[in-house]
Amino acid sequence: MEVGWEGEAPAEPGLGVGRKWEGEAPAEPGLCVRLGGSLALPGHPARGVGLGGSLALPELFGGRGGGAMLIELEDLTKTYGAVTALAGLSVALPEGAVGLLGPNGAGKTTMIRALLGLIAVDRGRGRVMGLDILTDALEIRRRAGFAPEDECLFPGLTGVRFVAYAGELVGMPPRDALQRAHEVLDYVELGEARYRRVESYSTGMKQRLKIASAIVHDPKLLILDEPTNGMDPAGREEILELCRDLSRAKGMNLLISSHLLPDVEAVCDHVVVLGGGKVLASGRIDELKRAHDRQFELRTRGDQRRFAELLTRRGATAEPLNDHLLIELPEGATAALLWEIADSHEEQIRLLRPRRSTLEEVFLGALALGGEPG
Amino acid sequence: MPILDQGYQHWSGRFATRAPRWWAITRQGVKVQIKNRWVVTTLVGALLPALVLAAFLGIWGLFEQKSSILTPWLFLFQNLPEELRAGPKGYRSTVWTIAFTQFFEFQIFFSMMLTLLVGPDLISQDLRFNALPLYLSKPLRRIDYFIGKLGIIAVFLLAVTLAPVVLAYVIGLGFSLDPATLRDTWRVLAASTAFSFVVAASAGLLMLAFSSLSRNSRHVTALWMGLWLVGNVASGALLATPQRDWAPLLSYTSNLGGVRDALLGTDAEWKKIGEVFRAGREMARSGASAFGPFGRRRAFEASFDDDNPTAGPFGSSKPSWPWSAGVLAGLAVVSVAILSTRVRSLDRLK
Repeated sequence: MEVGWEGEAPAEPGLGVGRKWEGEAPAEPGLCVRLGGSLALPGHPARGVGLGGSLALPELFGGRGGGAMLIELEDLTKTYGAVTALAGLSVALPEGAVGLLGPNGAGKTTMIRALLGLIAVDRGRGRVMGLDILTDALEIRRRAGFAPEDECLFPGLTGVRFVAYAGELVGMPPRDALQRAHEVLDYVELGEARYRRVESYSTGMKQRLKIASAIVHDPKLLILDEPTNGMDPAGREEILELCRDLSRAKGMNLLISSHLLPDVEAVCDHVVVLGGGKVLASGRIDELKRAHDRQFELRTRGDQRRFAELLTRRGATAEPLNDHLLIELPEGATAALLWEIADSHEEQIRLLRPRRSTLEEVFLGALALGGEPG
Repeated sequence: MPILDQGYQHWSGRFATRAPRWWAITRQGVKVQIKNRWVVTTLVGALLPALVLAAFLGIWGLFEQKSSILTPWLFLFQNLPEELRAGPKGYRSTVWTIAFTQFFEFQIFFSMMLTLLVGPDLISQDLRFNALPLYLSKPLRRIDYFIGKLGIIAVFLLAVTLAPVVLAYVIGLGFSLDPATLRDTWRVLAASTAFSFVVAASAGLLMLAFSSLSRNSRHVTALWMGLWLVGNVASGALLATPQRDWAPLLSYTSNLGGVRDALLGTDAEWKKIGEVFRAGREMARSGASAFGPFGRRRAFEASFDDDNPTAGPFGSSKPSWPWSAGVLAGLAVVSVAILSTRVRSLDRLK
């Protein structure tokens, strides 16, 4: 896995998160630690590859503690006339697959454009892969791959020329670009159509072509804006499978903007919910989908309807859901109550687990807290 | 086989650091356009004036040396004034200037044709297929995009102007076998080079602006035809009426011609050679045998306008060069304004 950051190590020793480091070790005495990787001693050039960690990066944003994140934005504000697209957006996103959720007009696309340095922000600052979005925009765009939401094509080209051209625009030598184009077209399953003009491609093929052209230079960060828009279920599943593979098997960092919650849930580890140009919720999906103290999913061996009645008599609510019951215990009660009832009525509990919020609930809850419609 | 089993390999190559960012756009555009047979045909057609220019400079070099190679064709030179035949080196820069001027007269036509063939798709198709987000999400700025697109037109126009000029110049130098040729004619090369870039920049910018005005390249083609042909026709028609001194300004190619003549100093050279021919004619009238063996009047000499010695043999319908330069500069400014308006950055609301 060769995904990472190249540059100078920080003056201050510390611990950060990254995957690769090439450059000088810190001038100050100290030790920089890479998680699962190698060491760099002060004053000595170091080079190495590690999984899941890297040397410390300089402290970002003037002394805020913590390790380096893939993306860090602070107080990012962007207005278009009377419309505020980003309203002091601050967020730190780790490596991995991150989903960007939000209703239309939440600021997802504006945030992506800000990350790539495509817009001049009114206020705030940010770093992507350790690069400043205000001063290193071109380098960010070189290291990142981006597949825009809209249907967009370089006209008049065959598939393979299209992807190779995308590589050349990033700065790949033409021969490398062509070779990579063939490889990534095979990877996205467009190998058979590589010599067809791209205008004749179907919607799904165009979407895969966009992804191919975004990964042709093996970016460290792949940004996909609504990658499954307008696709049929089969095509959508293929794209999601592709994203999963890129993120989990190929070590590519992903930022996926979507308003389709299942898509994000299928691919991402982290999620950011935007609304009104602000972050409404952010975190690991499995943490956001928190377990409820008094809500359980339960399945019994015997008559579930009868068991539900017993629970109701004890002040709980029990709703059948698929093959099990969704239970909410009364205030102050614990799961012991369920065991007690089962024991007293000689019922076997075959499944008992705390109910977790769905991503949809997280999303809607975040929107409600943020005062967004939804 | 499932697609993911075919694997994804990481790329460990290096990015090219020396090539400018816009070069990829230009290279790709040239590759695409060179597949157009009409473009190739026009390029081949544009070779003819270049070959004629190179041949002429070669022959003139031999004539200067009074080379025996020219003996079978000496009759071609008999109609020249005695002064010119006696000391051709004294008229070297004059002859070269006029030769390059005439060459550009043809190449302006080919340049217009090539711009017509190459240019209409350049931006209009990108607008139609929404390619801008793809370009601008790469490490490219808008200016890189414009320069890359302009480069495509420039490559073709310079291929029919600058490249033949340099080649013909080298051939002329080679045949002259005189180091002084460089001293006498470097201004011609410099002016020709400058004019080649003026044509490429002016026509390129204008075509890009037209191309950005429509998503349909046929409309762009029509706009260019209008500028080129309708402008020429209107200019010609208005010239026929009195008090229309500004009429040539309507013709884009006349304006290019005006700038060309100013850069090359063509008027002064026409005047100089015109005087030589007039002197020769006077000698002929006074009985000297400056004419050919059969007493033929030279069409070339007779065509000079005694009242307007700077007009050359083809008459003068060109505007004064400062006005022409002003028109071309104005068109360039308008083109840039159109481009910056029509090809917008992504810094806007969707």
